[in-house]
Amino acid sequence: MSDNSPGFFQKLPSALPGLVLIVLTMVVIRQWLEPWMTNAAIFGQKGWMVKVLHLNYILLGIICGMLYRNVIFGGRMPAIFSDGFKLSRLMIKTGIILLGSLYTVQGIVKLGSMAVFLIGGFVIMTIVMVLWLGKLLKLDRSMTGVLANALSVCGVSAAVATSPAVEAKASQVAYAIATILGFGILTMFISPFIGHALGFTDLQYGAWIGTGILNSGQVLAAALAFNPNVAPGTSVSVAEIWNIMRVISIPFAVFAVTVWYWAGKEESAEGGQKKTLGTLLVEKFPVFVIGFMVMVALTSMGAFGEVGVKGGAPASDTIKMLRLWMTWIFGFGLVGLGGYIDFKELAKAGGTPLKVGLIVGTTKYVLALLLVILIKDYLVAI
Amino acid sequence: MYRQIVVAVDGSAATAEALEHAAHLARRSGAALTGVFVLDGNWADFIGNDWQSSKGARQGFLDYIRQEQEEQAEAARGQFEAAVAGLESTQFSLLAGDPTEELVKLASQPSTDLLVVSRQVFQVSGRPSLKSLAKTLAQKATRPLLLLG
Repeated sequence: MSDNSPGFFQKLPSALPGLVLIVLTMVVIRQWLEPWMTNAAIFGQKGWMVKVLHLNYILLGIICGMLYRNVIFGGRMPAIFSDGFKLSRLMIKTGIILLGSLYTVQGIVKLGSMAVFLIGGFVIMTIVMVLWLGKLLKLDRSMTGVLANALSVCGVSAAVATSPAVEAKASQVAYAIATILGFGILTMFISPFIGHALGFTDLQYGAWIGTGILNSGQVLAAALAFNPNVAPGTSVSVAEIWNIMRVISIPFAVFAVTVWYWAGKEESAEGGQKKTLGTLLVEKFPVFVIGFMVMVALTSMGAFGEVGVKGGAPASDTIKMLRLWMTWIFGFGLVGLGGYIDFKELAKAGGTPLKVGLIVGTTKYVLALLLVILIKDYLVAI
Repeated sequence: MYRQIVVAVDGSAATAEALEHAAHLARRSGAALTGVFVLDGNWADFIGNDWQSSKGARQGFLDYIRQEQEEQAEAARGQFEAAVAGLESTQFSLLAGDPTEELVKLASQPSTDLLVVSRQVFQVSGRPSLKSLAKTLAQKATRPLLLLG
């Protein structure tokens, strides 16, 4: 069961076949498939797949990853490819760190202050709603605790971070993860349609999905599916600020739910992992956020030249190159993400956790949608 | 008729009936009885796209799940030993891997004369897909298989 992650360079030889498959997939998609789709006439309309289905290299990459695992390889990634697909985690993290080059400190403060307000409100509202529903539907307290953070903060990472603290059983974590992944995948595919149909700007769309989609990988995918460009003001630049705010809130949410869990337990109860907020901050703080902030600081100091903010000087060649890399890195990472979507697990999710997940997930998704429509004039562009 | 009977046990009430049947058949036929528990090795894969947790947090979670599985394995061993008291040839075997794949292997091994499995086995601490373990076994087993409720 051990993760057995010896480090990037030690792992590289065994990861090569999987990485080659991922890279080849993305090259074929971007060099041949996407251009073909842009020109192909279907139902009498040129580029129907792009204009109507909103298919782009991001969605195609995820679909290919899913097909590899669930169709071509019969439900399980073959051992020869699995180490390469595991490395996709590292690619997405690297991409997010590089994404720091889209912002200056001033931009982050402007966008982040709005994100703090929205994310904070939604995290608290979601936790309260899950705890209330859990009590109403007589759901086990550990399961309620895991679902509260998984639905409020950021899916799998929050479930993983919360489970030991609330003494959740493996099966409870598994059902919580299957529920949020299933809901997240659905929203990942429908959000770009809704966003385009409602004529959302990148800012509105990014704020909506950054708040309303449960799992971070799916926020990234949905943002790039709406607009595959990586530049200041695009949907991914907005959604990821929202996402990072949520990620930062993991230790606080774990602490809050842990306090709730232990407060409701009988006094004689022993065991479990009661931890202070300080310990949780050290243990659960996602380190890649520090890398992202360092990148923002370097960008603000002009280390990479002009950022290319709307109305300002054009982006430097270094910044342009970084953005091109990011599109490829995210593309690779999301093929890997698709390869981890296991239909067998998702199809078997069910019971009360699924009910709570669907009720809370849908409420959050729709409320966030209504909110960005209502406050569109107050959203601040960078 | 049977020389080697294998039964999947997880320490839960669900597998008690399967174990009782397996022990009864072993007594009547004089067969050797092996109890099997599978430590689920697929958890790292299951939380695969959790890319935000640090390596420590991720491994911490996997260790936490592993501890639960080991406790479950001990419960299974205790359940097995209590049920086979008086039988001459018994052993408890702890395997690691994907529980469905490991049981399919056992259900296709020439040395297995009979595999006894509860439809609820490994669901106490299992992933959702283990709900279809019995169905997969019924489709893929090449050796005699006894499925119980």
